[in-house]
Amino acid sequence: MDAVDPYDLRPWYGQYGAHIPTDLPTPAHASLAAMASAAAQRHAAQTAFTTVMPNGMYGSLSYAKVDALSDDFARYLRQVLRLQAGDRVAIQMPNCLSYPVVLLGTLKAGCVAVNINPLYTASEMVHQFNDSGAKAVVIVDLFADKMAQALPQTAVKHVVLTRVPEFFPPVVGGIVHAVMKYWNRLVPAHDMQATTLPQALQQGRAGGGDAAQWWRPLRHADLALLQYTGGTTGVAKGAMLTHGNLLWNVAQMRAMCGSHIDEGKEVVLTALPLYHIFAFTVNFLCMFDAGARNILVPSPRPVQNLQRAIENYRITWLTGVNTLYNGLLSEEWFTAFPPKHIKAAGGGGAAMHHAVVERFEQVTGAPLVEGYGLTESSPVVCFQPLNGQRTRDSIGIPAPMTEVRLVDDAGAPVPLGQPGELVVRGPQLMQGYWQRPEATAEVLRDGWLYTGDVAVMDERGTFRIVDRKKDMILVSGFNVYPNEIEDALTRLDGVLEAAVIGVPDTKSGEAVRAYVVRRDPALTADAVLAHCRTLLTGYKIPARVEFRDELPKTPVGKILRRELRGEVMTDMKNKG
Amino acid sequence: MLSETETRLLGVMMMVIMLGMGASLTFKDFAIALRKPVGVAIGLVCQYGLMPLLAFLLAKALALPPAYAVGLILMGCMPGGTTSNIFAYFSKGTLSLSILMTVCSTLVAIVMVPLTLAFYSQGIEGQWQVPRENVIQVLFVLLVPTVIGMGLRRWNANVGAVVEMLGGLLGVFVIVFLVGSWVPRNYQLLLDTGFPVYAASIGLGLAGFVLGYALSRTLRQDPRRSRTIALETGIQNGPLAVLIVLLSFTGTQQQEVLLIPILYSLFIVMSSSAVTVWFRRITAREEVARDAAKIGSMARA
Repeated sequence: MDAVDPYDLRPWYGQYGAHIPTDLPTPAHASLAAMASAAAQRHAAQTAFTTVMPNGMYGSLSYAKVDALSDDFARYLRQVLRLQAGDRVAIQMPNCLSYPVVLLGTLKAGCVAVNINPLYTASEMVHQFNDSGAKAVVIVDLFADKMAQALPQTAVKHVVLTRVPEFFPPVVGGIVHAVMKYWNRLVPAHDMQATTLPQALQQGRAGGGDAAQWWRPLRHADLALLQYTGGTTGVAKGAMLTHGNLLWNVAQMRAMCGSHIDEGKEVVLTALPLYHIFAFTVNFLCMFDAGARNILVPSPRPVQNLQRAIENYRITWLTGVNTLYNGLLSEEWFTAFPPKHIKAAGGGGAAMHHAVVERFEQVTGAPLVEGYGLTESSPVVCFQPLNGQRTRDSIGIPAPMTEVRLVDDAGAPVPLGQPGELVVRGPQLMQGYWQRPEATAEVLRDGWLYTGDVAVMDERGTFRIVDRKKDMILVSGFNVYPNEIEDALTRLDGVLEAAVIGVPDTKSGEAVRAYVVRRDPALTADAVLAHCRTLLTGYKIPARVEFRDELPKTPVGKILRRELRGEVMTDMKNKG
Repeated sequence: MLSETETRLLGVMMMVIMLGMGASLTFKDFAIALRKPVGVAIGLVCQYGLMPLLAFLLAKALALPPAYAVGLILMGCMPGGTTSNIFAYFSKGTLSLSILMTVCSTLVAIVMVPLTLAFYSQGIEGQWQVPRENVIQVLFVLLVPTVIGMGLRRWNANVGAVVEMLGGLLGVFVIVFLVGSWVPRNYQLLLDTGFPVYAASIGLGLAGFVLGYALSRTLRQDPRRSRTIALETGIQNGPLAVLIVLLSFTGTQQQEVLLIPILYSLFIVMSSSAVTVWFRRITAREEVARDAAKIGSMARA
C-alpha cells in the first residue's frame, strides 16, 4: 500500500476524542471462563439473569448461582460424559436461564461451544452436528422431536434436555411448563434417551472436583466458539472464534461505550437471540463482564411479549435490529410510557432505517447507535460513537485496535469518498472456518477479512455501507445498489417494506426487480414506478414491481434477498 | 337453599376471584386504556346501558312476577364476569380488551350497579327490592381484593400471575359448585318453573351477545374485537348476583329471587361454550384466509 492510502491515516481517531482510547492493553483474563469467574466473584450476590415470560412470570439467577451451576455443568461434561478439552458441545435453545449456565459450563470444561438456532430443521441440525463433530447437545424440550429425528444421522453421543422455565421458582415454573405442554402443545413427545439439565447438574455436583482445573490452562489462542454463518452462500460454515477473539471484542466494545456502562448498575434487555453473535458478545459477554442484570426474553415475537419485561424492570440498555425497534415504536404501551432509564440502545444486524432511529430517540430520549459487524469478527467492527457527533445512516467508526480500509477488486485502497469493499484487520478476527481451508482463504487474506460489503468513508473516518457486493446489480454495465432503490421505495407512504434484487435479463444483463409490501392496499405498480422516477435515474428504475403480503426474513429480521432470487431462478428454470 | 356455611364460602371464593382479576392488570394498562377510551367506553355502554335495559324489557315482555323480575334485573345490572376472560382466551378473542372491560366494569360497579338497579326496579314492590346498602357493601368489599390484586401484581409479577390464574379457575369452579349444589336440591322447583323464567335466563345472555356485537360493529370495531365485546357483554358476574341475593333476602323469598341468577349462571356457561367454539372457528377461518392470500401471492411470483 502506498503512502497516500487514506485509511492508514485513521481519520476516525479524531472522533475518539477523550472518550475512546486508541490503544488497548491485551485483555488481562486468559479465557472467557476466567473472565466470567472473576465477574461472578465481584458481583456474587447481584442478579445476573432474569427470564421474563410474556405474562410477566419470571425466574432469576444470581452471579454466584450462575457460577456454581456452570461449574456443575463443567464437571458433568468432564467427569460424567468424559469429554476432553476442545470437544464440541452444541447448544440449541431460545433465551432462557439455562443458556448462561450451559454456555459458561462448556467453556469452563475447556470445551468448544457451538451455537445452533433452535428453529433449524432436522436436516439443518444434522449438518451442523456433523460438521462441528459435536459430542453432546443441550437442547430445549420444545424441539426434542427434531432432535430425535436428527440423532441417528449424527455422531452425537449425549443429549441433555432443558425447559424454557428452567430454574424458575417451582410453582411458577410448573405452571409455565404445564401451559406450554398441555395448553399450547409446544412440548412434543419423544422416545429419545436424554438426561434433563437438572439431572446433569446433579450428577456433576455429585462428582465434585474443582472446575478451575479445566479452565485454568486455557489461553487466548484456544478455541471457544464455533459460530455458524454463511447461509448466504448455501452451506453453513463454522467461524472459529477463540477466547482471545471474544475477550478482545469485549474489551473493544467496552472501550467504545466508556462511561455509558456503569459497572454493576446496568440492566440490559436481551430480546435478540443469544445464539446469534451480536447478542452473544454484546449482551451476554460484555454485560456479564460489567456485572449487569440481563433480562432475557425467550421470544420477542409478537413484540407484545416484551411489554412486561420493559414495564417490570428498570432497563438501562437494549439492543435490537431495525424490525424490533420498528415493532416497539408501533406499540402504544411503549410510546405512551417509554422506559425512563434507558441510557443507550444499540442497533445492528441490518441497516437501521433513518425514520426508526429518529422516532426511537424522540420517544425515549436516548441515543440509538448503529454498529457493524460479522460473525467472522466476533462481531463488532464499527459502531457510532456515543459521545460527540454522530453521522446518521452510517455504521460509525472502527473500534479501537481495528483497522478498516476500502479496496477495489485488485485489493488496492480506493480514494476517499469512493465505494470499495470493506476489509478489516484486528484481534477479533476469527481463525478461519472450521475444516474449510478454501473457504477461509477466500475471505482471510494476509490477515485481512474481506467482508463482501461495499462501503464509503468520509473525511472524518465515518463509514457508510452502500450494499453487499454480492447483491449489487449490474444493469447494462451500471452498478445499482439495492439498498438505494429500497430506500427510495420505502419513502413512498403507501409502502411498508421493500426488497430489491437483480434478475437475469437478455437485454441489460440484469434487471432491477422490486418486491413491495403495501401499507395502502390501493397502491398500484404504476404509482410506485412514477415515484421512483422522481428520485432515481433511468437505469435504477425497477423493470418490474411485484406486491407481496410479506417478505422472507431471517430470525433476527433481515430481509432475505437471496430467497427472492432463488424463487426467480426456480421459476425461470421451470419455464425453461 | 344454600346454607350459611356455603354463603360464607361463596363470599371467600368471590374475594379470591376478584383478587385474581385485579392481578390480571397493571396500573399502566389502565393508563393506556384511558388514553384511548373508546374501547372501554363501548364496553361500559354495553354493560350498564344495554344489559340492564335488556333485562328490564325481558321482564316486562315475559310479564315476570316481581321475585323473578328483580332477579333478572339484578343479573342485568351486574358487572362483567371473570369467566368471560377465559372464554375470550378460548375463542381467540382480544384477551387484553376482555380483561380491561371486566376490570373497568367492576371498578365502576360501586356507582353504576346501585344506580341502574334503582332505576329499573322502580316499579317493583318494596319488599322485593334489593337494598341499596347491601349492594354497595358487597361491591365495596369486593373492590378491596381487586385493588389488592393489582398491588400484588405490582409487588411481584410471579405472585400476581399465579393469583390471576387461580382466580380464573376458581371462577369456573364456583359456577359449577353453585349449579352442582343447587340443582339436585331444587329439581322439583326446576320442573315447576315455567317457560318465561327459562326464556329470561337463557335469553339475557344470548341477547347480550347479539346486541353487544351489533353495537360494537356499528361503532366501527373490527370483527374480532366485536366478538370479544359480545362475549363480555353477554357474560355477567353470576356468582356476585347470587351473593347479593343471599345477603339481602331470606327463606322462600331468597329462593325465588335466586332462581334466575342461578339459572342464568348455569345456561351462560353452556351458551358461552357454544358461542366460543363458533367464534374460534370464525377466527381460525380468518387466519387461514390471510395465510391463503400470502400463498396466493407467492404462487403468482
